[in-house]
Amino acid sequence: MRISSRGLGRWAHRHAQWLFPAPAVLLVAVIIVYPIFYTGWMSLQEWFASSLTAPHFIGLANYRKIAIADARFREAVGRTIYFTIVAVGAETILGLAMALLFNREFWGRGLLRTLAILPMVATPTAIGLVFVMMYHPSLGVANYLLSVVGLSPWRWTYSSQTALYALALVDVWQWTPLIMLIALAGLASLPREPYEAAHLDGASTLRAFWHITLPLLRPALVVAVLFRAIDALKTFDIIFVMTQGGPANASETINILLFNQAFSYFNMGYASSMAVALFAVVMGASLILIKVRRSVTW
Amino acid sequence: MAARRLTRRAFLATAAAGATAGPSVFTPARAQSFNWKRFQGKDLFLMLTKHPFVDVLEKNIPEFESLSGMKVKWETLPEIQARQKMTVEMTANSGGIDAFFTSLHVEKKRFWKAGWYHPLNKFLQDTTLTSPDFDWNDFSPGARAGVTQPDGSISALAAFIDANVFFYRKDLFEPKNLTPPKTLSDLEPLVQKLHAPPSTYGIVLRGLKNANATQYPSILFPMGGTYLKDGKAALDSKEQVAAIDLYSKLLRQYGPPGVVNFNWYECSASFMQGQVAIYMDGVNFASQFEDAAKSKVVGKVGYAVLPAGPGGHFSPIYITGMAVNAQSRNKEASYLFCQWATNKANAVRELMAGVGVGRTSTWDSPEVKAKPKMPADWYQAYQASLKIGRQGLPEIVGVTEYRDIIGVAIQKAIEGAPPAQVLAQAQKDFQDMLNRTER
Repeated sequence: MRISSRGLGRWAHRHAQWLFPAPAVLLVAVIIVYPIFYTGWMSLQEWFASSLTAPHFIGLANYRKIAIADARFREAVGRTIYFTIVAVGAETILGLAMALLFNREFWGRGLLRTLAILPMVATPTAIGLVFVMMYHPSLGVANYLLSVVGLSPWRWTYSSQTALYALALVDVWQWTPLIMLIALAGLASLPREPYEAAHLDGASTLRAFWHITLPLLRPALVVAVLFRAIDALKTFDIIFVMTQGGPANASETINILLFNQAFSYFNMGYASSMAVALFAVVMGASLILIKVRRSVTW
Repeated sequence: MAARRLTRRAFLATAAAGATAGPSVFTPARAQSFNWKRFQGKDLFLMLTKHPFVDVLEKNIPEFESLSGMKVKWETLPEIQARQKMTVEMTANSGGIDAFFTSLHVEKKRFWKAGWYHPLNKFLQDTTLTSPDFDWNDFSPGARAGVTQPDGSISALAAFIDANVFFYRKDLFEPKNLTPPKTLSDLEPLVQKLHAPPSTYGIVLRGLKNANATQYPSILFPMGGTYLKDGKAALDSKEQVAAIDLYSKLLRQYGPPGVVNFNWYECSASFMQGQVAIYMDGVNFASQFEDAAKSKVVGKVGYAVLPAGPGGHFSPIYITGMAVNAQSRNKEASYLFCQWATNKANAVRELMAGVGVGRTSTWDSPEVKAKPKMPADWYQAYQASLKIGRQGLPEIVGVTEYRDIIGVAIQKAIEGAPPAQVLAQAQKDFQDMLNRTER
């Protein structure tokens, strides 16, 4: 008994390098790797979530359909990318401006900074429900506020021309603080010397910002944009709660469409192929951004 | 001896239930022979949906527990989430759900083809499982048809029946000597007379895709339109064009701003805020109109049957039911619950709370007549609508996909696209979908 337990101990000791990470590896395999491969496998099947008929292998037919035959999917891809550019673009500009503001010393800075990051804490679904009430064309507070400053009412999420922008506004409201936080951390770590040198050379504040702050901050900003872009490409909750992809399909992104395919139309195989396509879009965007970050030379 | 004691206890419990429901709906002498406690000690798990019918039902579940001696646990989710959860549970073949509340107008053929409904035909014929006072024939023909599949199998017991009706503001109609329209051709001139924006808009109907598909047949059916002709898509018929033209014109010209994305929530909010003169939707929304905490139009709302048209007089109806899960390990016990939930006593309770049911006997119940929660014309409009009821959505597997297809067409038409053009696209998409799903 003593011998065998010592033997076990020695065996464990010898193989510690893979024995210790094994639980973590197993967990990742079960909850991340397996679903990815299963989704990939499902995307080659046709299956209507029936317990009477089993999935039916159809090869790449689903991919052929999303690549050439499905106009609704193509539009959704364009819309997803457009939504991401609009929302993340606005967030980056606003977030950077806020970071520059909060990087200065002024009275009440701590309190204002805390207030500014509060939207990030809220639940997207709850925010969606509140915004949909605020956007109501005749009963909502948004149009009331517009009328107070003398503007004519807008349709917000209640028109196919404006729905995507109204949704992007909610995203901007919630996630600008994230960009601000990362940019602020970046600003805090910037060296002082280049500014002093620039100042001695007679550079204006604007030039210093453009030629010193922005290039030095670029790695931090790229990380912030990367986080936000990945998230924005996958936005689901606010769109689902506020417009369900409407009016018509004016705010239907890939994620909303694939949800409909899976859980409303029960086209499990087809939805899986869309999930794989969305994964490719997100992965592609991430790789581009990472490349941009690597190309930074100090 | 034990059996006898149980029977007596069961009798007392049913008699107590009968006393609350009124003697006319219960026959205790016959109920005595039925053993509710057959599955005493079992645990049931129900998947319920957030719904006015379920709100009333949930309060009375303890009564079923003491009647049957079973323990009932349940989860109530919004409809879409409940359907998602069902899908996950059923495809995993977990058997964890014993009975569920089902929206037949969406799920009927889909769940049937997937094999999720346990057929109830044998249970209904079995006198040891079905109480003599349950009375299947008490359900209206529409309700019975709504739960029966093409092969004759009965998938659920009808719970709630919604019918589309015509809501109008009496206080706006009376000064102008206006009355609810008899025919579709009267509708637009009437709406025009009442349209006085921004204080009052002529009409509101659902604009949001998918949701609008349940209201569209209020115009489509009287126009003479159908969804299918000889099993093929029929969305490009001239009746369809006329119907979508009228539906979208009413909303574009006389609807509140943003109506294109209105679900029932926004529609009924506008109506309850007094902004709209006419609203056509499911009859069950009326209970909020008469709730002073939510509505500014309490007592001012009139209820009428939908207008007729060249194609006839119809009211689109939607049925929900209680179904036994085909994967349940307690099918017979679950059936007892479904039976209890849709029996006469519970039907009376639902109707008294302003929730419509498919049992004909309840409408004349003295209990309901003595303490009506809703105005008299509500009961009249509801009953008259059930008589001209027609299943509001096509009975196909891909109901949700159909609703999105027609829903997008309606939204595009509201925003100004030509009806014939949007319907041509819808026709193509609908036929594609039928080819895929109806084989």
